[in-house]
Amino acid sequence: MLSNSCRIQLESFEGPLDLLLYLIRRDEIDIYDIPMAHVADQYLEYIRGAHELNLDIASEYLVMAATLTRMKSKSLLPIHRIDGEEEEDPGAELRRQLILYRTFREIAKELHRSEEVWTDIYTSPGERDRWSIDNTSIERGQTSLLDLLRALDNLSEDEIELPAQRIQRKLLTVPECIQTLDKIFHTGDLISFRSVVGLQPSRAKIVSYFIAILELIRREWITFQQAYPFAEIELKRTERWTVDS
Amino acid sequence: MILDRLAREVEALIFASDAPLSIEKLCEYTGSGEESVHQALDRLNKAFLDQQHALIIIEVAGGYRLATDKDFGAIVSQLFEGRKPGKLSRAALETLAVIAYSQPCTRMAIESIRGVNCDSAIRTLLERDMIRISGRMETPGRPLLYSTTRMFLEYFGLTDLDHLPRYEEIAELLCMSSSEMEEKDLFGAADEE
Repeated sequence: MLSNSCRIQLESFEGPLDLLLYLIRRDEIDIYDIPMAHVADQYLEYIRGAHELNLDIASEYLVMAATLTRMKSKSLLPIHRIDGEEEEDPGAELRRQLILYRTFREIAKELHRSEEVWTDIYTSPGERDRWSIDNTSIERGQTSLLDLLRALDNLSEDEIELPAQRIQRKLLTVPECIQTLDKIFHTGDLISFRSVVGLQPSRAKIVSYFIAILELIRREWITFQQAYPFAEIELKRTERWTVDS
Repeated sequence: MILDRLAREVEALIFASDAPLSIEKLCEYTGSGEESVHQALDRLNKAFLDQQHALIIIEVAGGYRLATDKDFGAIVSQLFEGRKPGKLSRAALETLAVIAYSQPCTRMAIESIRGVNCDSAIRTLLERDMIRISGRMETPGRPLLYSTTRMFLEYFGLTDLDHLPRYEEIAELLCMSSSEMEEKDLFGAADEE
């Protein structure tokens, strides 16, 4: 069973005190004489309503519900007074909280009004940006991670000119390989593939030379032999190379 | 109306300054007394008004600065589109109000007044430069203390913290115990909306 008022979303309240102030105002309750049972019931009805609507209820609301329930039960029970001990008015602390919260809620409204006025006022060029610079000197323990992150942010915003370096990839074409081979290779010479590519060759170099060699073999400009798989490939230049070229 | 030399000097100083100029600074730079500088400021503003300028000299965060009239807010705001942060949420405003009146204060103090978790509001305010961490309280856990910034004053057009609405009354209220509050009959006095 849900009364209509419960359908107001709990989310529109800034916490349990806000909700409580709303209930007190709605039911025209004298805050000095809060009928605990009534207020607690109204409050719990709200929480239940929100619960039935499957709203997430922040834990603060539940704490307040527990506090109100406790106060309600206290107000219903006879008071045992121990001699010499002043029984504390359980409502007093809640009233204090309500007064303080309501005061700040009003101040927040006033700040909001100032915000409305002052966001329509603009000062001389660039000042808006300078506003964010806080000139107060930094002392130990006054900085936070946020300050560091912001400093880092400012750093990266400033254009740090790193010397541009263009790394050019050295292209090795198959005709180039053939040219090189022509120079180092004489007719009748027997050289190994490993000695052609040299020590620690790049992958590109191996591939280029290998293709070059395949091409040379196709043209019958060289012959090759390999004793067994993965063994050294040995190349021999034929007469045809010199004749054809 | 022809402006005198002093008024024009004050105008030049305020225009070129990168921060609000205090009355002391204005006196120092112009070599004039406080009274004459105040009068010069009045003459300047009267001249702006008489000649229907869109500018006005305002007092904010402890100093004077040149500003556009609020009637032109909408048109000027186009310059800052995308750069201007949005308005603060109710949670942020309430949190800010508590910090402003009881600074430096801990998150616990704020939460005990608002009765809700204030983590995200505090984060927003830190990001917006409305508050800063001003130290740690020397109690177990050494919680962080928060204070408002100059940005806060400027944002809300306040000259200083004393100019916060009902400053003394609320400062007093914060120190009161619950029984003292009862005596003061604060609920009757406060006007609800």
